[in-house]
Amino acid sequence: MIRRMRNRVFLAFGVFVLLFIIIAPFYYVITSSFKAPQEIIARTPTLIPQSFTLQHYEKLFRSSNFPIYLINSLIVASGAMLICVALSTPAAYGLYRLRLPGGKLLFRVILVTYAFPGVLLLIPLYGMLSQLGLIDRLSALIVINVTFTAPFAVWMLRAFFTTIPPELEEAAALDGATRLQALLRIVLPLSAPGVASVAIFAFITSWTEYMFASVLILSDANRTLPVGLAGIIGQYQVDWGLLLAGATVTMLPVLILFSLVGRNFVEGLTAGAVK
Amino acid sequence: MNRHKCFAPMSFVLLAIVTTMAVALVACAPTAPVAPQPAPAAEGPAQPVSVRLWHMEQPPHRVQRIQQLIDEFNAANPGIVVSQEPQNWGEIYTKAPAAVAAGNAPELLFAIPDFTPILKDLGKVQPMEELVAEMDALYSFYPTAVEPYAYDGHTWALPLYNMAHSLWYRPSVFAEAGVEPPKTWEEWEAAVAALSKEGQYGIGLPANKHLYTDQVVYDFMVNAGAEEIYNPDGTLRFNNPQTVEAYDFYSKLYRFSPPDSPNWTWGEAEACFANRTCAMILQFTVITTYDTQAEGDPSDLGVIAIPHSPNVAESGTIAYSNAVMLLTEDPAKQEAAKEFLRFLLKPGNYGRFLNMEPGLFLPVTEAGNNDETFWNDPLAVKYRSQIETMVENAKNGRLFGFTNGNTFPSIAAISAQNLLAQTLQMVVIDGKPAAEAVAAGQALMEEAIGE
Repeated sequence: MIRRMRNRVFLAFGVFVLLFIIIAPFYYVITSSFKAPQEIIARTPTLIPQSFTLQHYEKLFRSSNFPIYLINSLIVASGAMLICVALSTPAAYGLYRLRLPGGKLLFRVILVTYAFPGVLLLIPLYGMLSQLGLIDRLSALIVINVTFTAPFAVWMLRAFFTTIPPELEEAAALDGATRLQALLRIVLPLSAPGVASVAIFAFITSWTEYMFASVLILSDANRTLPVGLAGIIGQYQVDWGLLLAGATVTMLPVLILFSLVGRNFVEGLTAGAVK
Repeated sequence: MNRHKCFAPMSFVLLAIVTTMAVALVACAPTAPVAPQPAPAAEGPAQPVSVRLWHMEQPPHRVQRIQQLIDEFNAANPGIVVSQEPQNWGEIYTKAPAAVAAGNAPELLFAIPDFTPILKDLGKVQPMEELVAEMDALYSFYPTAVEPYAYDGHTWALPLYNMAHSLWYRPSVFAEAGVEPPKTWEEWEAAVAALSKEGQYGIGLPANKHLYTDQVVYDFMVNAGAEEIYNPDGTLRFNNPQTVEAYDFYSKLYRFSPPDSPNWTWGEAEACFANRTCAMILQFTVITTYDTQAEGDPSDLGVIAIPHSPNVAESGTIAYSNAVMLLTEDPAKQEAAKEFLRFLLKPGNYGRFLNMEPGLFLPVTEAGNNDETFWNDPLAVKYRSQIETMVENAKNGRLFGFTNGNTFPSIAAISAQNLLAQTLQMVVIDGKPAAEAVAAGQALMEEAIGE
């Protein structure tokens, strides 16, 4: 009994330490975004804010193009997420279920795109997108983000599909379902956690993508959050309050998405680990 | 039973087609939420000449001030529409060459001296000596502002504003410690030691492999008489006794700097000064931060020229003459762009342009220094004596690779890799003797420029 108690206390302590390490930076960023400028840069940092102001948020939304950056990021991340899911789901299913010539090889090399550092592809992609008239277009960022997220999404989803017994699809086929119907009505509902995890993965990757967004977008009107935020905080003089307010608002959509489907994300990541 | 044969492959073909069409639709969809655009021109020709301006002054208040001037210009010039596209210094070295190569370059692009050669090598930068001469006749450029852009028989950019380092301190802190503002290195070292006490570092000096460290190191080099990195024939002369003296003295003062200074950029140094952790720092300006995030008492903000070695007659500093390049070959666009630049440098407009960041950007012309709109800004009124000192310090400004009428565009490779800062790290972090580090630094530079 005592041993069990000791184990539980030990585990609880471990969880507490881990939570503290994870949550502390978020807590500090969020609470500091409401502090007066003097308190933010004070010599002795304050854990509990001694002042309260909304001036940084007011400046963020009234004096900068942050709302535009926010909308642009939502468009890019949502678009990339939807297309990534729409492409990777049938692709993963096809690679797993269909007898495609070279299918196994394709599945193995699909992650090769990750072997190339993005920066090496920057200039060639700039040239290609320029010829297509897609420079300074949000659609260019959607295409790029799908290019980089879809391969891993296919890999992840395939692992998930392997956990679904093929007998279920066979039963559907015997009842007259086409393969597409089986995918949409049998496989997808059972794969919801996997699809959700792919969606979150694609959203977060696109939400935080900086390099391509900084080079392919030219105008302020089409800038996304990471690039826009880097610009408005300044170079020689840093407005720390503005930076913290921007970071807080930037985190919100990701936190909301995680709170809605986070459980599925965890399930999706562990799919196929145990048979 | 083969479980695959019951399904129609056509369904998958259909799904693939639909998905591909969806991707194509999204990819070709028009982008862009509505964003602030330049004010429409008044009644004018059917197709006004458009001029795109790329600059790297992204903070919102700077963008607003530039937009205000653009709006005024567009309203007064119906045949021209100027628009701005703020960029980031962090990406512009990649982005601008890519844009030039793809034919998307703007007509006007802000520059600093070591950025210009990169664009010039791409064959897109247009000579501007005629406009520079015209503006010089009207407003009298400070020669040090123009020199970094004059080489290979042309002037490649029109200077717009200057930035120079000074030494910032609090008179009350000095008075409390019984310290006088230092003028020589000996006095400076004594002051730094006297000001170091519990909770206060005598000075804040960076050691990051970053441009800020390059700049501060060069401050020490200028004040040791080592401002020339090149010999007149273009070979490197970085490894010399004066440079060694500069690095050695830097390492002596660095002992009094906060322990996190190896990670500093400009913002951290300013915060260290504003929260009274650092008694002194070297910075372009601290005025805005001091005014909004510290005491904001102009009588307790001190600024002086950077102290110099006993082997040097007077103080110098690093100074960046910021300028604008013309990147279009279209005569109509060239003339429209020049008209906008004439508007910008005109007294009455120029002071307001400089005050997009009051107390940071300094005039590059005599007329600009006398422009009432420059001195009428509330912050300039409040900190006038500090700004006057900054302007004075800037007159002794130097920039590595662009000194004494010699311009060596290969400095861009040295600057891009922060080799001055890397050499400093060998001394203050790796603990190498200054002479050894400087010799290694020169070897790195020779490798970088392919000598």
